[in-house]
Amino acid sequence: MKAVHRPLASPATPTGPTPATTSTTVDPQAETLRLFQEHGTALYRFCRSVLRHTGDAEDVVQETFLKLLHHLQHDGDARNLKSWLFTVAANGCRDRTRWRLRWLPWTAERDDRTVDPIDEEVRLKADTTEADRARRAFRALAPRDRLLLSLRAQGLSYKDIAAASGIREQSVGRLLARALDRWRKQCVA
Amino acid sequence: MRCLTDIEVQAVVDDEASEEIRAHANACEACRARVSERRSQMETIASLVDADGMPSSALEARLRHAMSEASGVRGSTVLRANKPSAWRSVGLVSALATAAVIALLVYGVLPHFGAPTTLSASEVLSRSLQTISSGQGVERLEYEVAMDGMTAGPVVIRQVIDRDNPNRYKVASYRPDGTIATAVSQDPTTQQRSQLFHVDGTNYIVRVGAIHTPVLSIPQMAQALVETSIGIMQAKSDQQLTIEDGPAGRRYVVEIPPVTPQNPSATLDLFSARAVISGTDFRIQEFTATGTMLRQPFSVSVKLRTHEYIGGAVTNESFAITPGPDDVVIEGQADEDPITELMTTVLRELGRARGK
Repeated sequence: MKAVHRPLASPATPTGPTPATTSTTVDPQAETLRLFQEHGTALYRFCRSVLRHTGDAEDVVQETFLKLLHHLQHDGDARNLKSWLFTVAANGCRDRTRWRLRWLPWTAERDDRTVDPIDEEVRLKADTTEADRARRAFRALAPRDRLLLSLRAQGLSYKDIAAASGIREQSVGRLLARALDRWRKQCVA
Repeated sequence: MRCLTDIEVQAVVDDEASEEIRAHANACEACRARVSERRSQMETIASLVDADGMPSSALEARLRHAMSEASGVRGSTVLRANKPSAWRSVGLVSALATAAVIALLVYGVLPHFGAPTTLSASEVLSRSLQTISSGQGVERLEYEVAMDGMTAGPVVIRQVIDRDNPNRYKVASYRPDGTIATAVSQDPTTQQRSQLFHVDGTNYIVRVGAIHTPVLSIPQMAQALVETSIGIMQAKSDQQLTIEDGPAGRRYVVEIPPVTPQNPSATLDLFSARAVISGTDFRIQEFTATGTMLRQPFSVSVKLRTHEYIGGAVTNESFAITPGPDDVVIEGQADEDPITELMTTVLRELGRARGK
């Protein structure tokens, strides 16, 4: 029996001012690897921030770049691929979160042998109480707030954030402002 | 102009504000301070996201591997074919019928096939990897190994390793009848290293002291090999996961079906693999694989017999080869190369026996 896997939702049509590449002149595999070098870490940090799980984040990043390869191999729109990548990754994160909810997630209480190494790294790096509070407050945010702030933290414009998160572009600023306010209140709570 | 709202301040910070709003933010001292404060908060958020670190170095390798196999494959880490789903054919299936069929599939059909209900194959492998690499304390393992091309027949391996100091270990191999064949031990705390060979019914132990540089840990190398193999399994696109619920608890069976070798020049490649992983602690209980290692074909089968942590019962003897009454012990001098160390010690002993 094959493992259950639900396909990701299709990303929004890529838009943007400048073509990053043209599929007729560039090898899709080479281009995918180049974009992995350029955006892989940012994408991983975004996924890790949203999913709070190293393995899941790496899986989503891998799936995203495989989708990119497929996209480039089939002469997909090569404009603004950064936005495209974050849109696909955000869909992947949502998909994985829904999957967890549906199938009852693994939790630390169910398996005390497995630890989350990045959490441990972050814990060790948090050398001040203030930083620790900030981190805890960020993690306590609702998934959408975390998603929006993480996308903005990776330098995406409101337009790109709207495409990646599935909300209206006009609402991005308002939702970001509120998310930041909620984080600030959590910090002092 | 009136002072800015929080949303407008946010837009200034995010460089999305109109010219008029930006002009006010520059001119108004109160708004400028609010922009500065919010900008600082956004920078903190960015630093929190960046603190999530870097992806593992294995990710790129996994991606390259998956990309090379990305055509016509399926599984939890690759794309499905981009054809429209029949489920989405509007008007063909009513919502009620769809729900009924899904319910039938989930509650009726899948359980009979032992289908996964909580984890994907990749997740099971990932947690197994974490279990392997996150061990602490002194661990004792006993397992059976059959490896074509490298050993004459199945052997039993018993190993003790200090996970907090991986250069501290003892590994012994036993023939099928239970007699010892070889053993190696190394303990940096006592600065002792020993090797045992069973020849013509006698155990010969070559023992050296004052070791300065511990040589690579054999269990650690074996673990690295297992981790690499699991990593390759994760990168394969057509993993199959089956859940078995038996009297001993839940087991996950992850299989990579046989494939045609694509990269025979790779240092390590798997053509087929099967891992049985405990559902309670994600430890690998059985592992079989075929492939190439250093361009040589191999076939390996490993079955875990026992595993335990023995923290309270650890002594220096746990990491030493203790000679029996009829064993021959040869004392030697440490060398950075254990093979040179062994040969030098044995040849010197031979020279002494011949009166030279």
